[in-house]
Amino acid sequence: MLRKRLIGVITVKDGWAVQSFSYQRYLPLGRPERLAENLDRWGTDEILVLSIDRTAKGLGPDLSLLRKLAALGLSTPLTYGGGIRTAEDAGNVIQSGAERLCVDASLHGNQGAVREMAALVGAQAMIASLPLSTGDGQIRWHDYRTRDSSALAEADLAVLGEGVISEALVIDCIHEGRRASFDPRLVELMPFAQLRLIAFGGISEPSQVSSLLASPRVAAVAVGNFLNYSEHAVQTLKRSPSDSSLRPPAYAVDPER
Amino acid sequence: MTRVAVGLVDYGVGNHSSVHQSLQKIGVRCRVSDDPAVLSPCDLLLLPGVGAFRPAMEALKRKGLDRYLVERASKKRPIVGICLGMQLLTEGSYEGGFTPGLGLIPGEIVPLGPLLWHIGWNTVTRVTDDPLFEGISGQTFYFNHAYKYHGPQQFKVCTTRVEYSFASVVRRNKIIGLQFHPEKSQDVGNALLRRVIEELCRA
Repeated sequence: MLRKRLIGVITVKDGWAVQSFSYQRYLPLGRPERLAENLDRWGTDEILVLSIDRTAKGLGPDLSLLRKLAALGLSTPLTYGGGIRTAEDAGNVIQSGAERLCVDASLHGNQGAVREMAALVGAQAMIASLPLSTGDGQIRWHDYRTRDSSALAEADLAVLGEGVISEALVIDCIHEGRRASFDPRLVELMPFAQLRLIAFGGISEPSQVSSLLASPRVAAVAVGNFLNYSEHAVQTLKRSPSDSSLRPPAYAVDPER
Repeated sequence: MTRVAVGLVDYGVGNHSSVHQSLQKIGVRCRVSDDPAVLSPCDLLLLPGVGAFRPAMEALKRKGLDRYLVERASKKRPIVGICLGMQLLTEGSYEGGFTPGLGLIPGEIVPLGPLLWHIGWNTVTRVTDDPLFEGISGQTFYFNHAYKYHGPQQFKVCTTRVEYSFASVVRRNKIIGLQFHPEKSQDVGNALLRRVIEELCRA
């Protein structure tokens, strides 16, 4: 049985892991490597590192950070997003230690580059990062570079229906960082029926995890800093779905013992 | 175990750093190279891979590693392929049009079908009496692929079920392919990797 996943998210700004509130206010947390080590040890199903300032600063992907993470010998799958503009960037991200990558800015104006990335690394490695909100019964798509938002139209995101993207990271960018506030209508109203979704932003409670994973469209839930707030948070969230759709919780065995 | 040396084939495509770290974690000496002279003394070669089949095969050819791997296999020396590395061991793939593979394991790589992608953690079931994989049934590993092995039943050692079953481990003598990522499957994956390397090098 293919299990659904609980993904631990590390948001990185200026090289530091930060706690983000609606992608507008940030509190420093520490080195991303330390958080990644914890998520690896706690038995999350995947680790997602989002370097949120790379594109805005005209920087490419943070390969230095990826190499530091790879040197840790994490045995949990790693996905990276931030500053990926070209197929060469995508190849470098994979080569530097990530299994999958997240694209965001290219979806707005350079979908040709997204197709080229998929041709190199495979569609199974491609995730579309979509900062979204709801209003007037429709989904609005945010461009964090311009801080504009527009109604999400299938025509604007044709690449999502072409089989070059395997999953979409649906980010509730309004409620991100706020406890128990993810807007489930983002999942309900999301077009591209064939696309599997990863829900992220404002997910902190077992009941939310359980409810979101009950949707056949949701392949995973992603949780950021809430995993650091309490002891055994990963274990608690993983026990929440009543149908055992998640892999059973397990801590890593310390090879030194 | 420390006497075993694994050669990690670095053909410029895919993620060898994770596999390298995983090998170090389980106490295996490892050389990462695209140079046959460096790889040749190693007891076992490991072919990792994340990406698309055609550029990966082109990269192997550019470096002359396709001929080297075939020659090494003909000398009955063990090779283990992981994910895309497993697919490269076969006769070819229909990903982006047909591309011939290394031809070390009979069979071809075809699209997963209506599922499109198989991403996440799934269980494996042993379907032969291969003692190397005894006890693997029911264990959960990390998968991330869009194509699957299609070939003779005799080479399928383990299967995994989604809406249908497909081969998740294939084997022809000392050539083994793992469709999942043991290096990213936490303790269960590391234990399997250690066992496969130990047993293949001992045999």
